Amino acid sequence: MDRARYLPLFLEEATDHLAELGRALLVLEKDPAAAEALELCFRMAHSIKGMAASMSLDPITDCAHALEDRLGKAQRAGRVDPVVELPLWFSALDRLERLLRSVRDTGECAAEPAVEDLAGPAGLKKKLQRTLLAA
Amino acid sequence: MSGRILIVDDAPFMRAWLRGILESGGFEVVGEVEDGEKAVTAFAELRPDVMTMDLVMPRQSGVDAVREIMRIDPDARIVMCSAQGLEILVMEALQAGACEYFVKPLRPCCVLSTLRGVLEKGR
Repeated sequence: MDRARYLPLFLEEATDHLAELGRALLVLEKDPAAAEALELCFRMAHSIKGMAASMSLDPITDCAHALEDRLGKAQRAGRVDPVVELPLWFSALDRLERLLRSVRDTGECAAEPAVEDLAGPAGLKKKLQRTLLAA
Repeated sequence: MSGRILIVDDAPFMRAWLRGILESGGFEVVGEVEDGEKAVTAFAELRPDVMTMDLVMPRQSGVDAVREIMRIDPDARIVMCSAQGLEILVMEALQAGACEYFVKPLRPCCVLSTLRGVLEKGR
């Protein structure tokens, strides 16, 4: 596939999705029980993952995948943890925005540390430790 | 082998990407729609040889759309377009009547061989 041909459409759509994701996260910040906002976040992360995977933009795919997993768990649990989960989701949004900017500027993803904060309990523990140390 | 394909996906990027693959393989894309509800209507109108159906969409999911289309035509050929981590939904779609699936990222060889296989063997 001619990747360059699809890059403008990818950038346009991924930018829109991140904006929607950001708006939905703000809704969840005010009301962690907002199921529609959570469903929208899941769909945006899922969609970004699929598009980035097609474009072989692995850092975006990995981050969106990790975010989608955590959003899916919250959906199944029927609740959002505003103390632990929401900050992680916002940090994933920041990371996705940085990565997308680098794709816009250079055509590729800039180097970022591993997605440890979103990847599982070990990463989460590190994140919490850092948060506590910084407090 | 050619065939008339209807693409169902809420992401314009994914529809364009899939259209590019299909047309490069000699398939005719007879329509594109962005959700499960429109998929049911478009199926009834266009009667494609095969539909490619995304799983996660607004308003009506891919699985629900498969169920409705199967009620209209039990011989409809629907190939699910999944992503990693959605195996349970894929199983639901296959049980509902979808005949195949492919997993994103969509690679031309995989998409084309899957669709050719579906067209050759029928249902």
